[in-house]
Amino acid sequence: MFKSVIYKEWIKTRWFIILLTLIAILAVGNIFLTVQHNMSFKEASNYWYQILFQNSHYFSYLKFVPLIIALALASSQYIPEITDKRIKLTFHLPLRENRILIMMLAYGTASLLISYSLVFLIFLGLSNQFFAAEIVKLAIISVIPWFLAGFAAYFMAGLIILEAIWKYRIAYFIIAAAFLLLFFETGLAGSYEPINLKLTLITLLSSISLLFSAYRFRKGEM
Amino acid sequence: MIKISRYILVAIAILVSAVAIPKLYWLSFDKPIRSPFIMYSSIDHDFMIQRTGEKTIRMDNTGREYTRDEFEQKLPLFYSRQLLISGTMPDTIDGVYMDIHELNKARSFFRLRPAMIYAPDPGLYPMFESESGRANLEMPKDYFRISWRMEFIDAADNRINEKKSRMFTSVLQKRGFVFPAKKIAGIPTTRKSCDEGYFVTDSKDQLFHIKMIEARPFVKKVELPGGLKFKHIACVDFSDKKFYNYLVSEDNDIYVLSQDVYELTKLAIENYNADTEELRIYGNLFYYNVVIRGDNYVNVTILDSDYNKVDEYHESWTGRTDSKQGKIFSYIFPAQLKMYDSNISFTDFYPDITKGFNWLILNLLLILVHFYIIRKKGFSLKNNIFDLIIVALTGLFGFIAVNVFPNKSFA
Repeated sequence: MFKSVIYKEWIKTRWFIILLTLIAILAVGNIFLTVQHNMSFKEASNYWYQILFQNSHYFSYLKFVPLIIALALASSQYIPEITDKRIKLTFHLPLRENRILIMMLAYGTASLLISYSLVFLIFLGLSNQFFAAEIVKLAIISVIPWFLAGFAAYFMAGLIILEAIWKYRIAYFIIAAAFLLLFFETGLAGSYEPINLKLTLITLLSSISLLFSAYRFRKGEM
Repeated sequence: MIKISRYILVAIAILVSAVAIPKLYWLSFDKPIRSPFIMYSSIDHDFMIQRTGEKTIRMDNTGREYTRDEFEQKLPLFYSRQLLISGTMPDTIDGVYMDIHELNKARSFFRLRPAMIYAPDPGLYPMFESESGRANLEMPKDYFRISWRMEFIDAADNRINEKKSRMFTSVLQKRGFVFPAKKIAGIPTTRKSCDEGYFVTDSKDQLFHIKMIEARPFVKKVELPGGLKFKHIACVDFSDKKFYNYLVSEDNDIYVLSQDVYELTKLAIENYNADTEELRIYGNLFYYNVVIRGDNYVNVTILDSDYNKVDEYHESWTGRTDSKQGKIFSYIFPAQLKMYDSNISFTDFYPDITKGFNWLILNLLLILVHFYIIRKKGFSLKNNIFDLIIVALTGLFGFIAVNVFPNKSFA
């Protein structure tokens, strides 16, 4: 049964996740083409200077990439489930209801993790190629919240899509939007250092939020 | 599991409400508080005060008001350019001839905010050639770090320049530097009159002056009184070249380090807190106006050119908390969760608990409203007691959270 559920999720989401991951990798490629261009046109030391002392963020192009991947994945995974209330069929499978949902959630989270890891590792590798460890460290501290926002957005999107009543859906949307803003505060590179661990913890906790909506859905709370 | 997922959502909703709603409140209702600008008259030897608002009021310490021209004439060292244009600049003050060149040379301005002390550290700095023989400073091709040794990294290929790194490291070791560096302070820009390199504290809090002269390291250990540790070092590039920097010790004392002779002098400034107060120092031919600003007060100390105290001034005003908007805030919100603190350049959760207990009234009211909702919908009180506790503790934030994520299913 586990394999079948995963296979069903894979069929629904594969093109979205593959395509968007490829686009994200291209975005990273674009970042470093720009870096290379700036290093040769502005002189490398001047470019480093802008990054170190003038708050120029070479990685800012990456800002909403994880968020877009997450929203596309959540939509491709959960919207088919609420069309004609198909998820009710899922709940009739001979498995405990929460287990199926947790499997769906685990599939989505694992897909995001793989996609993000690929993008992040390429970003990290290329950053190390061009910049000293200090600059890379500040960049990592700054991009981590954007990837966390991706996970949080995925969890919140599941919650919103599976909610049956529009009134609540809108309320969840407002809370989710305000929640995601926490990850996108503008500041100096590296300014998120003290908060990153706390945001990671909150994101991890928010992972099971989907269960609440699904529970309301199957109990017919509408 | 589902119950837990609901409480997690409630907690997230409380968190984001506590960040977003008070922020929106202040965005809508906050009014600027204009602090007075306090200067010291070298004519009257007393303080002059300028208050801006709907109307700008200029007065002296006794409350006597002045016109703009009269006011500027009392402060010839602040407004020398204007007075020269108007032809009202005095020839001498206290017997000292007013040479415009000397006036400009002695004029300086320095500002230090707590957020400049508590900010992400770039960790890499450019080491300029201090005596290149060129009119302008040039940006070097490499940057240095001081970790287990001093390393120069070439920006073009991101590789370490071993020869230069070894040369600087070995001189630092000979001078008694204990790696790694704790603080590196300098003026990392080519837009300065000349280069004086960096002032660096090592892992044993010893202070060193490091610069590069004709591609060779210059390292000088600065003798410090025993146990003196610095919280912040701010290098300056003033025309009079009297000192290299302002230094703030862990005990919040302010020092200057004289140029070339490396003599450390403590300024006669008391009760300064670099963690919460802004420091501004306006220097001129006769005085240093040291202005220390807190949230709702200003302390001004006047020092003479040898850093001895001449006079001081204190003024406080109604802060944001005591304003009408602040009072209304205290009736609505038990706290505010800020992502930024004006004194720190790092993003974090900074809880700001509302002073007093005015918010208890709204909290009690919301408990009653929530109790009414529970009863009206026919839920069991036993199942909702925890929600009521949440509302009691977090007020408006909790009330929104428990109603957006309702408890009905668990009734």
